[in-house]
Amino acid sequence: MVRFFRSGNVASRVFDRQLLSPRPGAAVNTIRQFYENLVPSYTIYDIDCPDYSFRKFTDDGKYLVAFSRNHQDLIVYRPIWLTYSCTEECDSHDLPPKAKKFDSFFKQLYSIPLASSNEYICKDFFLYMECHQFGLFATSTAQSNDSTATEGAIHGVPSIEKITFYLVRLEDGVILDEKAFCNDFINLAHSIGAYLYEDLLCIVSLRYQTIHILQIRDSGNLVEVRRIGAFCREDDELFLHSHVQSGYGGSFLPGIKQRLLSYIFRKTWNEVPDQTLRVQHLKKKFYFHFQDYVDLIIWKVQFLDRHHLFIKFGSVDGGVSRSTDQNLAFFAVYNMETTDIVSLYQNSSEELYSLFEQFYDHFHANPQDSSHGKFISSHSNDIHALDQLRTIKNKASSSSQFVKKMMASLPYTCQSQSPSPYFDLSLFRYDEKLISAIDRHRHCTEHPIKFISVRSPNVVKFKIKPGLDSGASDSRAKRISSFLFHPFFPLVLSIQQTYMQPTVVNIHFRR
Amino acid sequence: MSSSSSFPASRFPFAAGAGAPGGGGGGGGGSSLRPWGSSGGTSVSSSGKRIQKELLDLNASDCSAGPKGDNLYHWLSTIIGPQGSPYEGGIFFLDIVFPPDYPFKPPMVTFKTRIYHCNVDATGKVHLDILKDGWSPAFTISKVLLAIKDIISNPDPYTPLVMNISRQYLTDRTKHDEIAAEWTMRFAR
Repeated sequence: MVRFFRSGNVASRVFDRQLLSPRPGAAVNTIRQFYENLVPSYTIYDIDCPDYSFRKFTDDGKYLVAFSRNHQDLIVYRPIWLTYSCTEECDSHDLPPKAKKFDSFFKQLYSIPLASSNEYICKDFFLYMECHQFGLFATSTAQSNDSTATEGAIHGVPSIEKITFYLVRLEDGVILDEKAFCNDFINLAHSIGAYLYEDLLCIVSLRYQTIHILQIRDSGNLVEVRRIGAFCREDDELFLHSHVQSGYGGSFLPGIKQRLLSYIFRKTWNEVPDQTLRVQHLKKKFYFHFQDYVDLIIWKVQFLDRHHLFIKFGSVDGGVSRSTDQNLAFFAVYNMETTDIVSLYQNSSEELYSLFEQFYDHFHANPQDSSHGKFISSHSNDIHALDQLRTIKNKASSSSQFVKKMMASLPYTCQSQSPSPYFDLSLFRYDEKLISAIDRHRHCTEHPIKFISVRSPNVVKFKIKPGLDSGASDSRAKRISSFLFHPFFPLVLSIQQTYMQPTVVNIHFRR
Repeated sequence: MSSSSSFPASRFPFAAGAGAPGGGGGGGGGSSLRPWGSSGGTSVSSSGKRIQKELLDLNASDCSAGPKGDNLYHWLSTIIGPQGSPYEGGIFFLDIVFPPDYPFKPPMVTFKTRIYHCNVDATGKVHLDILKDGWSPAFTISKVLLAIKDIISNPDPYTPLVMNISRQYLTDRTKHDEIAAEWTMRFAR
């Protein structure tokens, strides 16, 4: 890759920018190189801030979302960069102590109660609809493990008395609409059970094996437009009622399973042209495993575009536990309009892996992504990330295990990656075990996390150190940290939690 | 047979047949009336042998069927909607359960896929004479499947399970076919 800027010096880069014009269409990529010069290298340790759990910057950078410690209120801030006033003599080299507080960076817009009494905000759940500045939140009651067999519910999945999704206009904190699911189970952790694509939202009910497709109207209403599970088309049930008087019972295959099984049947059928051999083949490959296919459950779903869903089917026991990587799973591309399964892959499929390697960006494409969102590094748009992936691939002892492990990250978790330029692998390198664009809690080490320039591999551009400045705290205590990167400002919040100790919030920014 | 998909209760039919005399419902085959331990076992395994043989013979026919997992007494079959019928384009799955005293008792056949047909009721049960009083131990499963295939193409409206469908079939065939095709598109693809 030919570098546009010859020098790393910011002044010289500004001159370069005046004199030269980048290749057509590459202007943004070029300008982003300025982030090498503008880094969040200054840290205010243990800033005086309200005791909230800070969740995320919205991808347009307009809001910082936080929840109260009792998980019942939503608090929204506007990042205002560093703004302060002071009357005393100002030292031009250091910030006055008065400025070193949370309020200098964020202005609280409002605080509203979302949950009441026995309901709690799921603090891992938040989806943002950028075009309308709507936020989607979820509250739930406690999870009960007695999964009493209710009609239509599958066995082995826990039940939550009530899960409510709230659509909030972040501008002023007005709750526009809500949608409740009762005695159901939706995987709210990290927003896994929901996916937002343009104005379409899908919510996966694990307990009732139903994919609910909702549309977020401009007016701010949540309208259920489709329900996929027992039936495929929205009026199937109505149609059935109008033709069967005596009620319908029986143990018919659910609509989505019928599609899945007939797809597998046809595929198996077409694999062998010879009639006699085919019967044998079907026996071994299809009928023998029929019940296994019937027992598959929908795990996770994402949109590929407005019509196609990418559905992961797995076994129930892979269920709510986390280590599902190595279990047998299938991925289906399902067209909601034609109600057809378009293709189906096993989680060890090399073919799916090659799609994953080459076209990963198509797995999380969202036309509504902000301009920043388009720069999220992945192995299919960044040579450095691809190198990393290939290295892991070559190191892997077994290819099929590697493929399974990689496929465990599919379907994509909606809005799970920060678009911050500091995670752009063409600009910076960092230890992905300690920090990455993926929004997760991480175990903390004593050492600061280094961000190294890709251009000059020996230059540490900046360091992020969560926790107290002294670092003299008990090193045995288990510490967990999370990082909130602003999508385009050199502004980072690091939040460190230590068992039985107050949370330490640091602000990292460019001074 | 080895597979990860083995059913925990896969041997259940053997156990039920051998261990529970009279469990066969005072059966016509007489096999279930035999006392414990005498030749009850052989009788049941003879049904097993018979099913095994039918499984091998299936190769020669164009019926597609096979045991679910390693349970010899529980089969599945697939019927592809016959061309030119309103069921064209549909893939219909059928559940076949062999009683322990097979072939003296007929197998039980139910549709797992919804079908608009006057001889199949709202729970998926098929009405076919040879699966009831007309059953003879000489019939085989491929005969049964052929008979079902035949009844799909040519419904028998005179001995229906669903009266209004048969009435419609007789009085307004076009409408019937239209609805049946719609069902196929919605529920059987």
